[in-house]
Amino acid sequence: MNDMRILERDVDTNQIKIAARGVQVWYGDNHAIKDVDVDIQDRTVTAFIGPSGCGKSTFLRCLNRMNDTIDIARVEGDIRIDGEDIYDARVDPVQLRAKVGMVFQKPNPFPKSIYDNVAYGPRIHGMASGKAELDEIVEQALKRAAIWEEVKDRLTAPGTGLSGGQQQRLCIARAVATEPEVLLMDEPCSALDPIATAQVEELIDELRRNYSVVIVTHSMQQAARVSQKTAFFHLGNLVEYGETGHIFTNPEDPRTESYITGRIG
Amino acid sequence: MTDASLPAPSERRQHTSLIAPDARTRKRKAAEARFRMYGIAGIATGIFFLIVLLVSIVSSGAGAFQQTFINVPVYLDPAKLDKNGNRDPEEMSKVSTFGYSPLIQNALLNIVNEQSIETPLEKGGDMKALISASAAAQVRDVVLANPDLVGETVDFRILASSRVDGYLKDRVQREDVARDKNIDAEHLDLVDALLPVGVVEKTFNMAFITGADASESRAESAGIGVAMIGSFFMMLVVLVLSLPIGVAASIYLEEFAPKNRITDVIEVNIANLAAVPSIVFGILGLAVFIQFMHLPQSAPLVGGLVLTLMTLPTIIISTRASLKAVPPSIRDAALGVGASKMQAVFHHVLPLAAPGILTGTIIGLAQALGETAPLLLIGMVGFIASNAPDGLASGLLDPNSAMPAQIYEWAKRADPAFYERAWGGIIILLVFLITMNTIAVILRRRFERRW
Amino acid sequence: MSVIWLSAIILSISLGGFVLGRRRALASTGGSSKKLHSLPVYYGSNAFMKSVVPAFGILIIWMLIQPFYINSQVAPMIPADAVETDVNTGLLMSEVRRSAEGIDEAVRSGMLDEDFAGDTSADFTVMTERLKDAGQIVTTQFSAPVLRAAQAYRKMSGISQTMMTIVVIAVAIAGAAWGVMQSDRDFRARNVVEQGILAILIAAASVAILTTIGIILSLIFNTIEFFRLYPAADFFTLLEWAPSFSGRGGSSSLGILPLLWGTIYISIIALLVAVPIGLYSAVYLSEYASARVRGIAKPLLEILAGIPTIVYGLFALLTIGPLLMSVFGDDGTGWMGGGRSVMTAGIAMGIMLIPFVSSLSDDIINAVPQSLRDGSYGLGATRSETIRQVVLPAALPGIVGAILLAASRAIGETMIVVLGAGAAARLSLNPFEAMTTVTAKIVSQLTGDSDFASPEALVAFALGITLFVLTLGLNVFALFIVRKYREQYE
Repeated sequence: MNDMRILERDVDTNQIKIAARGVQVWYGDNHAIKDVDVDIQDRTVTAFIGPSGCGKSTFLRCLNRMNDTIDIARVEGDIRIDGEDIYDARVDPVQLRAKVGMVFQKPNPFPKSIYDNVAYGPRIHGMASGKAELDEIVEQALKRAAIWEEVKDRLTAPGTGLSGGQQQRLCIARAVATEPEVLLMDEPCSALDPIATAQVEELIDELRRNYSVVIVTHSMQQAARVSQKTAFFHLGNLVEYGETGHIFTNPEDPRTESYITGRIG
Repeated sequence: MTDASLPAPSERRQHTSLIAPDARTRKRKAAEARFRMYGIAGIATGIFFLIVLLVSIVSSGAGAFQQTFINVPVYLDPAKLDKNGNRDPEEMSKVSTFGYSPLIQNALLNIVNEQSIETPLEKGGDMKALISASAAAQVRDVVLANPDLVGETVDFRILASSRVDGYLKDRVQREDVARDKNIDAEHLDLVDALLPVGVVEKTFNMAFITGADASESRAESAGIGVAMIGSFFMMLVVLVLSLPIGVAASIYLEEFAPKNRITDVIEVNIANLAAVPSIVFGILGLAVFIQFMHLPQSAPLVGGLVLTLMTLPTIIISTRASLKAVPPSIRDAALGVGASKMQAVFHHVLPLAAPGILTGTIIGLAQALGETAPLLLIGMVGFIASNAPDGLASGLLDPNSAMPAQIYEWAKRADPAFYERAWGGIIILLVFLITMNTIAVILRRRFERRW
Repeated sequence: MSVIWLSAIILSISLGGFVLGRRRALASTGGSSKKLHSLPVYYGSNAFMKSVVPAFGILIIWMLIQPFYINSQVAPMIPADAVETDVNTGLLMSEVRRSAEGIDEAVRSGMLDEDFAGDTSADFTVMTERLKDAGQIVTTQFSAPVLRAAQAYRKMSGISQTMMTIVVIAVAIAGAAWGVMQSDRDFRARNVVEQGILAILIAAASVAILTTIGIILSLIFNTIEFFRLYPAADFFTLLEWAPSFSGRGGSSSLGILPLLWGTIYISIIALLVAVPIGLYSAVYLSEYASARVRGIAKPLLEILAGIPTIVYGLFALLTIGPLLMSVFGDDGTGWMGGGRSVMTAGIAMGIMLIPFVSSLSDDIINAVPQSLRDGSYGLGATRSETIRQVVLPAALPGIVGAILLAASRAIGETMIVVLGAGAAARLSLNPFEAMTTVTAKIVSQLTGDSDFASPEALVAFALGITLFVLTLGLNVFALFIVRKYREQYE
């Protein structure tokens, strides 16, 4: 794929979906995220890049409070979605996660049928009033994850029986089935082969039309291919944030330049 | 993939505020809280059962460590005990315990009269219900050991009958006495009167810890000491056999065994043996050691052998785990300086695994100590071992009981006075188990090595 | 000569071999251990091993075989008419053995002189008197033929003992000598000793196999014997368990079905108590509890597993039974006739199994990968939804395995049912009625006074083999499921 493509990209909208201010995260004594400010725009693919252990995944997990499930993690600072503080005591993380979906690094289909995997979210959120409606939700989600054609004849087969790329697209279908407003993707292609990666990337580009997508990746090419905005993390700091084209062609910070030219990483 | 084929997300889920929970979320949160409560309830029930169990053990068993005694000066009447007057123990031993009972009863009656206690019980024979049947034997033993006491008045501390003991421990109620042919309400009145003047007293009962079992009618003098010695000899056999055999078997399986069918069979076999019901080991012991080899029934040696076979899988499994925990680098280091495999194992691996092996062995022994079912089949219940064995051979071969078997024996008897003994026996058994497990935990903490 | 003395002699010969072997090896190089193939201690050990192992081997084998050989020689000495109809030869032979021991005892205490004890023409009544004087118990079974047989028994065991002593000592000396002769500078002593040690290790490992073989053989032989006396079809199909008390068989009904029903019913009650409590505890401990709560609650629950079963038996009999009686007994609903019942034993057994279910399930729930939980939380599921719809279904095979293991424990449990369940075999659905189980009947049939050759006693072995097959089957199946489950997430 031609990297020049990024120059043709433009950002559809400037409406801010997520606003983070002064975010700090500790894992026990380890200060994993240091004072990060970032604005994530709606209907945009935002990529977080940086070397391993730089805190990009940790920050991502703050956005839907997945860090709550880790006992030793402590989050400080202010993160707002549509102006509402998600760390407010009144906010139920369960409701938040329905709004901010997540796709993980390793495909993790439940040991259930393909249908039940996708229907899981709609069922717990009570989105369908009947079997027919649920069928429709499942079908649409599978279509939007571009896997419908491959699985429509074996919806009752276990989801764990699919290939790696199919499993990851199933997980994306599972995430979009709950109709989130933001979709977080934590290195969604790291366990996939190049063909499956291409399929998922194409999918991400499509999803942008309806969602705000945040993707963590350690592949700079991937960030360049799929995102409009890029944030570079290093040692827990947000070093640079801006238009993807700008970051890749004309980085302001020397650390960003070192990273994209392959000197650190 | 074309854009047209992609359905847009519908607005099925309303995009509401995060801060105001909707009805469905409230319902789900309630379900969440309920589920959490089930979990807490599960643990609470488990711990509740544990507390009930411990409370009922302690509250029912504590009484066994207290016993009611009667302090009475007995006049050892020469006319009854030594008619010829030559103080010859040989001759005096002809007088059976029946000759002594009236002396004790009269002695007690004298005290009652001295204290001028009003009671309708006027004859010496009426005192019988207060005094343990073993009291006469106790006095007789003292007299035979020291014939010169005859003719004097000697202070004795004799056991009260189990009914009197039960009355002071609230086991025997006044309402029950009406139907009891062993004791009447008048006797209880007398006990109440004798209690403040110190003739009847309830004190610590060492004889329960050191003594032997007694017959059905003498619950008050039954003790667990001899059964404890039986258990001790069994544990000795288990330790002496299962530790070396278990360690040797583990070393072979872990360090030397080639990976083949036979080794697999042995491993599967050990895993399954660990789950065979203990009663089946009892059948094995009965058929092989007693029927086939004609080893003596009820002998701690046989009990120890059966428990050894039962404990071996446990010890092998834990020993193998400790051997496995020693990193291969230690073996490589020893082999690298020219040691043989055998030397590497015995000089380096085994010492490093020793604390783990010891811990596993203690836990295995604790299990064996509490095991009852196989002992029933090889005859370690149902008789009274009256004397402590006097040496290693008699300890191993003479019929004896074991602590859990003795507890079972008491639990089966009709007189509720024995139940108290059974609970008391359990307290002693648990003290042993807690001690052993604590030692194991301390050993583990102290020597645990992280590689 | 007693076995202890003989062992001491063997050991001292072997130790002598050790010292000589070591010295000879050193002498072969002129006192320098550097020129030896192995360390000097190995030469000593070689001689020690060659002496001690065969000597003790022969000693043990001899002692095992001797009683059988002498039995077979002495048994024909008792004329057939001396065997009363209701006494079988086995019992009479044990009387012979006992009498022989009695005479030994009397000789040892000096009440009987050796010449008289061995005199086969000694008068029976005089001998009886002398034995009684010596404080020996003389039973009514003791008769003139028994006395003669006992004397023969004594004589033969005496000869056998002497022969054994000579042979064993000779072997010990020969072995030691062989080991000493081998001690030479080029002899590979270490390799030989290590081979020997390896053989000992293998022997130790095969004790487990021998145990299993012992269990299977003792069950099978006695069961075959039982089925010879009692029809197998009746055993497996009769709906009645009523052994006759004469101990002579004939009128007994020995059907296993009522016992099996009692066993299964009690196990079901036990699992109904243990599985919900254990499973919810495991879920809470692994998914909700903080490290501190877990650190306290888990060991507390596990105390329940360390308590011996006799304690639970007593708890059932003396605490649960009376408690149930006060609610369901004559003063309450009137469903319960006595403190011993299926419920009494089942509850006690359930309490015993709680930690078993909870710690096995805890392990299994912890083996469910975190990524599945993350996937579910990421979709906005609550913890309980995640547990019920993702974690538990994923852990289901493992949990089923754990429950089967617990069921196998329940079926094989003895002390709780012996004390808590009652003695009457009954086919009933009322859980407040007393019933009995396979294990309880094994105990009662083998601890009574009945003779081992009667069907009433032998039936215990048939019950034992049923129990063995049942628990083994459940275990193998459960372990298979659990292993399959583990492999799935590895």
